[in-house]
Amino acid sequence: MIAEEPRVDGTQVTELAQSLEAELARLIVGQKELLRDTVIALIAGGHVLLEGVPGLGKTVLVRSLGQALTMSFSRIQFTPDLMPADIVGTNVIGDEAGRREFHYQAGPIFANLVLADEINRATPKTQSALLEAMQERTVTVGTQTRPLPNPFFVLATQNPIELEGTYPLPEAQLDRFFFKVLVPFPGEQDLLEIARRTTGESTPQLKPVADAATVLHAQRVAREVPIAEHVLGYAARLITATHPDRTQLDGVKRYVRWGASPRGMQTLILAGKVRALLEGRYNVAFDDLSAVATPALRHRIFLQFEAEADGIAADKIISDILERTPKEPGRE
Amino acid sequence: MSSLDTIIRELRRAAARARAARYAVHGLVAAAAWVTLVLLIARLTPFERRATVAVVGIPVALAVAALAWLLRRPSAAILMRLADIRLGLKERLSTAWERRTESGTLDDAQRRDALQHAARTRLAAAFPVRVNRGEASLVAVLAIFALALALLPNPMDQVLAQRQADRTSQARAAKAVQDAQKKITDSAKPTPVDPQVQKILHDAQAKIRQADSPRQALESITPAEQQLQRLTDPGTPALNSSAQNLANALSGTAAGNSAAQAISTSPAKGAQSVRDLASQLQNMSPKDREELAKALAKASQQAQNSQMRDSLSKASSSLQNGDASSAAEALNDVASQLDSLQQQQNTDQAVASAINGLESARQELAAQADRDAKGQGGQPNAGASASPGAGTSAGAGASPGASGSGNGTGSGTGTGTGTGTGTGTGTGTGSGSGNGSGGTGGTGSNGSGTGSGSGAKSTERVYVPGQPVPGQSDNDPTPLGLGQDVPLSPYSQVIQAYQQAALDATDQSLIPGSERDLVRQYFSQLGEQTGPGPK
Repeated sequence: MIAEEPRVDGTQVTELAQSLEAELARLIVGQKELLRDTVIALIAGGHVLLEGVPGLGKTVLVRSLGQALTMSFSRIQFTPDLMPADIVGTNVIGDEAGRREFHYQAGPIFANLVLADEINRATPKTQSALLEAMQERTVTVGTQTRPLPNPFFVLATQNPIELEGTYPLPEAQLDRFFFKVLVPFPGEQDLLEIARRTTGESTPQLKPVADAATVLHAQRVAREVPIAEHVLGYAARLITATHPDRTQLDGVKRYVRWGASPRGMQTLILAGKVRALLEGRYNVAFDDLSAVATPALRHRIFLQFEAEADGIAADKIISDILERTPKEPGRE
Repeated sequence: MSSLDTIIRELRRAAARARAARYAVHGLVAAAAWVTLVLLIARLTPFERRATVAVVGIPVALAVAALAWLLRRPSAAILMRLADIRLGLKERLSTAWERRTESGTLDDAQRRDALQHAARTRLAAAFPVRVNRGEASLVAVLAIFALALALLPNPMDQVLAQRQADRTSQARAAKAVQDAQKKITDSAKPTPVDPQVQKILHDAQAKIRQADSPRQALESITPAEQQLQRLTDPGTPALNSSAQNLANALSGTAAGNSAAQAISTSPAKGAQSVRDLASQLQNMSPKDREELAKALAKASQQAQNSQMRDSLSKASSSLQNGDASSAAEALNDVASQLDSLQQQQNTDQAVASAINGLESARQELAAQADRDAKGQGGQPNAGASASPGAGTSAGAGASPGASGSGNGTGSGTGTGTGTGTGTGTGTGTGSGSGNGSGGTGGTGSNGSGTGSGSGAKSTERVYVPGQPVPGQSDNDPTPLGLGQDVPLSPYSQVIQAYQQAALDATDQSLIPGSERDLVRQYFSQLGEQTGPGPK
């Protein structure tokens, strides 16, 4: 008997996202954008790179997500001596019916939710092992390729202030992340609330709100959200505007070395679709694209040294592009 | 819940209203700008039909705006997109419209969602009828500016009036030439040069009409007059004088008296009479022959034309030798020369008539050119005005024992003060008349023609230029001669008027300063040479 395909219903996705955000918000104080971007990436099936100083709740967020979703969760603390096998697993010798033979010992990457903590502390070799798994969603050990569990969601964190003994992710590998989310320092009220919640007798325990099947279903529904041609055109214009040789924007020409890849556009549209659902809509609006443009493109725009010298960040470039790229059609 | 078609119809109506208002203002801006531009240009350069052009531009601008409104209607997709943006519908309508025929998993839900949101929204608000304040202000400013330009005095109006006056003047001048043409065409005495005269006048008339200004038109008159002058025979005065001398000589003979009268009347009649005389030679008495031979010899001695002198001499000698047939042959030669003289006189008359027409045109054009130079070109008949006056006279006077014939041309100019001058040239007896009238009451006096004759009888008083009239003081009025209808004036009486007229003419700005000095110098030298006596 063939299992019946769940009925496509956008409202279910909306409810899933809202309940997930509400559940996470019980433990994560403030950080609404962080939660929203994380949920969007989860439903879109992408991975997230979280960047923030220590102690802002990055790890708590991932752990909470694991609690709120009935899915397997593993955490990998990246260190300089971490080896690829420590992530993807390895073949070990063992007794099997009186015979000694190699059998595969799965690594921590075999989980639905993986927290790659301080990913930039591992060597490039180890980083690439993880990033290959993120892209292909399979792991090859020896001669055997093994699929990773589905859904497979990686949240990597990195500390922007400690550069000594770190290995910054190469551009090509950064592109594998769906979003790069900056974790801001909380405001004063949020700090007070964090203190109240985490220094008392007990910390809140999260209830599971969805399982893997629900997340997979939501991912399929999100891809069905219609997008109009002119909105698609706007996304293309945004991506084109990030390229210094194809834009009229002086800031881009001056500060950008290389613009966003086509994968960036895919990210933009997919994230826009999820956001539309989260907003209770069944079509992608310009606002959706604008809202997700910064986390989707900030790690895909590579700046010149001059930008660093002038203190220009990618977020500023994206902000200019959003401001100056026309949404309205050319004529009345 | 309305359908997408209902929504698009509603949006179309609202957009049409809003665009109509906007394009109407566009049209008004264009119309006001056009009118202002035309009026502005009309202040910088002469623009005759500015009012028409400005007014025509208004409906044209509005029509263009209406056409643009009609042709540049936005498509349904564009309307949906604009409604989405302006009503904050988050691209719901445009997505639903674009995918109205799609049947994707979420398309139905999306369309329902779009229709629900549209139903809660007043769609016409996406296209409000609104007039751009900037444009409305621009229309007001342009309208005020245009009104000011229309009402304030335009310096180009004077230029336009001058142009109009120039054209009128040129038309009048051309008409004068045309009249001269018609006069020659209607003449009872056609001459061989008539076609050439007609062509010269026709060309001059065309040049006058086509000229850009009276001044330029004037330049075509002198060459035409020179061409006409070349058509005349310079030997005509000598031949005419010889004919008069012959008439005078024959008038003292019994046989030739009738021929003398005929010659005085006209050369053609004289020729016939001389032929009759030749045919009667055989029947004449010896006494008459001798008397006739003496008269012919006398005429031969006085003849200035060599051919005439030879013929008369031959006739005289043949008669004295009794060779009547040779004498008759010689007299027939004389008759032929009289016929030729008649022909030349006719030609001269035609040429004189043509020159008179050109002179009339010259006066008209010169007066207008002078007004233009004084800045009064656009005010015809204001201040001093001039009217051309011209007279021609051709006459032959005969009196017993003497005869004279001649022709003269006269021209006169009149000014607002009622003065006029006339000039005339001619030989024999003749008269010239001229008249002119001022535009505002000024009238010109008659011109005068002068002529000379010879062979006067003792009772005849013939006016000879440069000689006092016998028995008449300089101040006495000149009596009328045969064939004259105007009094003759001695040179000494008219030279002052001529000089004054010439000097008045030199005051016109049309004449260069160097030429004025030349004219003054001419008359002063004339006075030094002639002294107080007549010349």
